[in-house]
Amino acid sequence: MASLAATSVFLPGRTRSVSLHGQGMAGASQIRLASFTHQRRSTFFPGQASAPRFESPAKPETVEKVCAIVKKQLALASEVVVTGESEFTKLGADSLDTVEIVMGLEEEFGINVEEDNAQRITTVQEAADMIEKLVSKGSA
Amino acid sequence: MASAVGSGLSRAEAFSLLRSLLRTAAKFSDYNIREYVRRRTIDGFRENRGLTDPSAIASAFSEGRSQLEIAKRQAVVYSIYAPQVKNIMELNAS
Repeated sequence: MASLAATSVFLPGRTRSVSLHGQGMAGASQIRLASFTHQRRSTFFPGQASAPRFESPAKPETVEKVCAIVKKQLALASEVVVTGESEFTKLGADSLDTVEIVMGLEEEFGINVEEDNAQRITTVQEAADMIEKLVSKGSA
Repeated sequence: MASAVGSGLSRAEAFSLLRSLLRTAAKFSDYNIREYVRRRTIDGFRENRGLTDPSAIASAFSEGRSQLEIAKRQAVVYSIYAPQVKNIMELNAS
């Protein structure tokens, strides 16, 4: 169950949530376990979720948009390939650039990122996943 | 920025100040002042990145905070006299 990108379980009416980060994510494991809920099948097979509020890895368009914003912010040449797995630091961003990127994403997607969440983002994929989560939370 | 723990000013606080300034910048309705505040905060933080002396860090911090107060007040004032027409630079993006 740990082999997917960030997945969270939200069940209607429950306040508990489980966040699992896969092995592809940045080194520091960030597993925040509150408790497992009753729907066992959905925690073991996240990709086939039938629960309405279940999250899957971010949509490609979101990743695309994030890549575009990152490229513009870091002024990367157009030949430089930015993918979901690209780490900001590897692309030449320092912590200030990361904050700027997060602010740019906030503006683009109309979301509000928490202070400590913003510090945890290291790759494009993480950013896209978090955006998806916040957008779905906001529209729900 | 990273080594300021001794004086009680942490990296996290510096980031918090940075984000507050950028958020306040976003509140301005005038394109020019908005972009200026953004540019100036980034430049200011970049310039003071390598500070290690605690007193220098503290003074830079308090300067940043006072600027934040000023920016917040001005955001309110500017919003009262917001221009009706959008700046051409904002139109180009769409």
